[in-house]
Amino acid sequence: MLPTTFGPWLDYTINGLVIGNIYALLAVGLALIFGVSHLINFAHGSVYMVGAYIGWLCVTKLALPLPVTFVTVAAGCGLLGAVIERVGLRPLRNAPRIAPLLATIGLSVVLDQSAQLLFSPDPRALPTQLPTWRIAIGGGSIGALDLLIAGVGIGSAGLLYGFLRFTKLGWAVRATALDRDAAQQCGVDVDKVNRTVFAIASALGGVSGLLVGMYYNTIDPNMGFQAGLKGIVAQLIGGVGNVPGAIAGSLLLGLIESYGIALFGTSYRNLFAFVALILILVLRPNGLFARARRLPPEPLTGTFIAPSRPLVLPKWAVWTLAALALALPLVVQQPYLLQTLGNAWLYALLALSLTLVAGTVGQVSLGHAGLLAIGAYASSLLALDAGVPVLLAVPLAGLVAAALGTALVYPAFRLRGHYVSIATLAVGEIVTLVILNWESLTRGPIGVTGIPPLSVAGKPLVSGQWVYWVPLIVLLAFAALQSRLLNSHLGRTLRAIREDDVAARSYGVDLNRYKGLAFAVAGFIAGVGGALMAHFYSYINHETFPAPVSMLALTMVILGGLGNVAGAVLGAAVLVGLPELFRAAAEYRMLIYGVVLLLLIRFRPQGLLGTV
Amino acid sequence: MTDVLLRLDRVNSFYGPVQVHFDLSLEVPCGQIVCLLGGNASGKSTTMKVILGLLKPRSGQVVFDGQPLTGLNTPQIVRRGIGSVPESRRLFGTMTVRENVLMGAYTRSDAKSVAEDYEGVLDLFPKLRERHAQQAGTLSGGEQQMVAMARALMGRPRLIVMDEPTMGLSPLHVDRVLEMIQTINRQGVSIFMVEQNASLALQIAHRGYVLQTGRIVLSGPAADLARDPQIRDAYLGGAQAA
Ligand SMILES: Nc1ncnc2c1ncn2[C@@H]1O[C@H](COP(=O)(O)OP(=O)(O)OP(=O)(O)O)[C@@H](O)[C@H]1O
Ligand SMILES: [Mg+2]
Repeated sequence: MLPTTFGPWLDYTINGLVIGNIYALLAVGLALIFGVSHLINFAHGSVYMVGAYIGWLCVTKLALPLPVTFVTVAAGCGLLGAVIERVGLRPLRNAPRIAPLLATIGLSVVLDQSAQLLFSPDPRALPTQLPTWRIAIGGGSIGALDLLIAGVGIGSAGLLYGFLRFTKLGWAVRATALDRDAAQQCGVDVDKVNRTVFAIASALGGVSGLLVGMYYNTIDPNMGFQAGLKGIVAQLIGGVGNVPGAIAGSLLLGLIESYGIALFGTSYRNLFAFVALILILVLRPNGLFARARRLPPEPLTGTFIAPSRPLVLPKWAVWTLAALALALPLVVQQPYLLQTLGNAWLYALLALSLTLVAGTVGQVSLGHAGLLAIGAYASSLLALDAGVPVLLAVPLAGLVAAALGTALVYPAFRLRGHYVSIATLAVGEIVTLVILNWESLTRGPIGVTGIPPLSVAGKPLVSGQWVYWVPLIVLLAFAALQSRLLNSHLGRTLRAIREDDVAARSYGVDLNRYKGLAFAVAGFIAGVGGALMAHFYSYINHETFPAPVSMLALTMVILGGLGNVAGAVLGAAVLVGLPELFRAAAEYRMLIYGVVLLLLIRFRPQGLLGTV
Repeated sequence: MTDVLLRLDRVNSFYGPVQVHFDLSLEVPCGQIVCLLGGNASGKSTTMKVILGLLKPRSGQVVFDGQPLTGLNTPQIVRRGIGSVPESRRLFGTMTVRENVLMGAYTRSDAKSVAEDYEGVLDLFPKLRERHAQQAGTLSGGEQQMVAMARALMGRPRLIVMDEPTMGLSPLHVDRVLEMIQTINRQGVSIFMVEQNASLALQIAHRGYVLQTGRIVLSGPAADLARDPQIRDAYLGGAQAA
């Protein structure tokens, strides 16, 4: 129901500004970090989550007074920020710029998972000791907490302004952001500046997490992911690296969300943010407030393709390995083992798809799980609602994923580096949110049940061997196809685009067509993978393919060697198969992936088999 | 105290696989103005980067005041007493003139003498006094060059390295800048300047080196170089050699 009087709108406005203030605390930090280090810090949301938990400990376990809680949160998160700079950024100073971005993703996985292990995945209440009075104004009302949040927001902005404007270190921060080399020639220790900026940004981020926890009276270990993304959106609206812009962008985003919720309902909240993100990236990559002077539209170029000599398996070895893999169920009979390996082959399809996009074309996609979801839903719904035979539904689902995936990412084709990663991350989230909200088609949060299994001539393929064989056969077929493709003229063109898209364009290569082709092939492979998963699992919902699956896929691909087909298969087998076989407790698995990702980026960026 | 303030000793530097310097050796005696001449892409700016530690040579060393600078990073080298006026000024565009100049004193903690020195450089560059609250990026080229020199002076360096300080300036400003360099030098600061415009540089320099594709091909007192037929042909005549 639309409110018709003025009062509720005032409430929505106040709510929007309060939320905007919380985003601003995040976005300002992201802007500061981007300013000095040209890095979009994906671990920022995790710092925010840590801030909320430190606050929770202070309030519920130590019963500290509120001001002490705030100082503790700021100090704890500031320290964490300095550590992130030390581990995530400094050792990778001379690596391609996408490397520290991947490192912050790894750090964020590690932080989120550690919080889950320490505090359990369940939400916790974070009660405030604030008085509950509300001042009525013109039909709306303002509470003590609203005022506190506004006060913290404005106060932090004031402190930050004073720091940047009147202190020596603040000057060094500004100078480094403007011209890093010139600052060094004035004697500025850039490492110290980076550390300071990470500490300040993280202190603000942590306080933001604490405030959000108090505002909604609930915190959970995964709260950081969405929040971090919101901070990035707000920062992009204001223009990357622009501190006042980040504040304006945050308030705007808060208002958009609040009014959006008023008009459409709560479950749409995040959709606005991510659609806004895509629109900004495509239409105004420099932010809404950029002056006519155009900044370069991408903060960086350079892929994560570490130079290496890939391990090339001789033909007979490939055939032998394939034959051995196919013959395995004749020897190994345990259904559990076969099922695990079958699952690994399904994930290998995802890895195959991602290694084409991220490796061969150099577009590091962070939303690849979205393709699985599209394939899974398309195949299930075709089979259940349209009565299409499963055997036909699976390839059709591949086509749907290819078409939809390419269409969704198409607007981002002209972006490079970090921006591609952000855009694909948002696209992945949009897919999940549409699935959640388009109830008439997808059944919304209930999910799809009773998905029929794959069957040939009326005989369902559900036994242990088939759960293993079907994914393996599909995988081998796609892997062979992709290897052919990489060795063709097309493969060489795609790699040329990765190495230097400007040069490739000047040779008359139509970038959009080639990128589109690569995304379509990748979408088809992942879509078929998702479809097979749906028919094996028999139940899916919007949380079957969450964002961490995309991070897992990325880890597999980097582990095997970016662009390397055999590497993608190996990466999936190692990361999905091994933890299962060693019965590593499920709750440690994501933590292990995060650590593996971090170690790889730092010590073996070319992966196990080498990049292609 | 040594007579030679700065010495490059058989430096070989690379950008990736591409070698820029081949056994480059040169010296800046205490209290002198030394210029490094050379055409486009001969490796002049790279010499500055090597001195300032922005690029590590693969072999050879830079010795300042008798101490090798090997292993020091740029801020540490600056703290040893080397100021710099980078190519095309490299001011902090959205910071004020005052902030820019004072950034040069970043390594110093003696607020009082910094304030005195700041007054001192404003006396040297009176134009900057009027402009102290203006954003540096909005100044004219000549004014920006003054800010860059003032900034370098604020660190109380013993040596200032300058990359093409007269580039892109009007003839009037060129003369002003050259005068300034001499004034600074008379206060006891040694100068190492990189220039394409040999006739200008040799007017004020004591010594000169000529760099060609990363090798020193000629060196000597400035007066001799100015008379050298090779230089006349290559740099002082009409066409500039690459
Ligand atoms: N960052 C860099 N990476 C790779 N090569 C570089 C880099 N900077 C300079 N070069 C190359 O090194 C060589 C020497 O460059 P340098 O800038 O030292 O020349 P220069 O004498 O200062 O030229 P100019 O008169 O144009 O300023 C050139 O061939 C240049 O292309
Ligand atoms: Mg130069």
